[in-house]
Amino acid sequence: MILAALISYPRAIVLGLLQGVSELFPVSSLGHTVILPKLLGWNIHQNGDYFLSFLVATHLATAIVLFCFFWRDWVRILKGIGRSLRDREIGDADADAKLGWLLVVGTIPAGILGLLLQDTLRKAFASGSIAAGFLIANGVLLYGAELLRRRAPQTDADDDVRIARRVGFPAAFLVGAVQSLALIPGFSRSGAAMGGGLLVGLSNKDAARFAFLLATPIIGAAAVLKLPQLFGHAGDGVRGPALVASLCSAATAYLAVKFLMRYFETKTLTPFAVYCFCAGIACTIWFAV
Amino acid sequence: MRNDRLLVALAVLVGLALIVIAVIYWVEPAKSLPGFFPGHQAGSAHHHAKHGIAAFLVGLACFAFAWFRTGPKRATPAA
Repeated sequence: MILAALISYPRAIVLGLLQGVSELFPVSSLGHTVILPKLLGWNIHQNGDYFLSFLVATHLATAIVLFCFFWRDWVRILKGIGRSLRDREIGDADADAKLGWLLVVGTIPAGILGLLLQDTLRKAFASGSIAAGFLIANGVLLYGAELLRRRAPQTDADDDVRIARRVGFPAAFLVGAVQSLALIPGFSRSGAAMGGGLLVGLSNKDAARFAFLLATPIIGAAAVLKLPQLFGHAGDGVRGPALVASLCSAATAYLAVKFLMRYFETKTLTPFAVYCFCAGIACTIWFAV
Repeated sequence: MRNDRLLVALAVLVGLALIVIAVIYWVEPAKSLPGFFPGHQAGSAHHHAKHGIAAFLVGLACFAFAWFRTGPKRATPAA
């Protein structure tokens, strides 16, 4: 309870706002959640059950916002999956069904690795200096993905048709596997998935869309699985700040996804790569001196 | 064709095995899991529910694969 009192309401607001933005911007939310308290000198025990319970609420809020933002798409995708199960085939012209199964295939590696390794990796790397190091690596990864991207002709007018045509099932599996890097604080889930999308021939806009759709079930399921923790003993004393933080997180997540979907119509991952690289180096130096 | 049937049979078998493994993970504490299961730990009463969920989902994926592979074959248009 004494530890829980360390997440005051002002800190909860800051952490909530940060979570919403950094979960969707390709800059690693986990890395920022580890680094910021350390930079500000907040005595928060990153591996404490109370802090993990607190984070569950903010992640759930982000997942709900993502789901609501792409609500119409999810309805179409789920109908497509239902159609393909009924017909026992994924029709060539059925982009919704293909996209739905691409998301299922992409979710498998990230989901399994997340289920099996999340706690271990988080505990192993929950240090500001390590997260700063991985933030540098995240910058390199984003920039590398931009450099190595396959430029494919974008002929179809509809976003989902383009994605369904360009991405095959092995590629979706690869993008999902790359997304698992986000289990390490400092690597970004959306950044890794967007980078993977670029490498398999998607445009920045389509890669962002695919990454956000891919992230929704993973973030939501991870949060729902840990929800009992928030309502159990570990959540004592943090439920109030967690609620406030999740509202803040929802607000910034909505603004972030709205901004990013428009941003990636014309722009690239490079500014985020530069930010991660510079911020990582600055934090590494700061923690070292 | 024969390879296809073999693949489907294999997917169904693996799917079934994984669902059984999932149930074992949910029902048995870590100390009672077979020694070769990941997560087995002597004396631990912890239930590896997440391992169970992972096994269950991969099992479902195997069934989905078998379902599509045994679906009606589309006629290929004549050249």
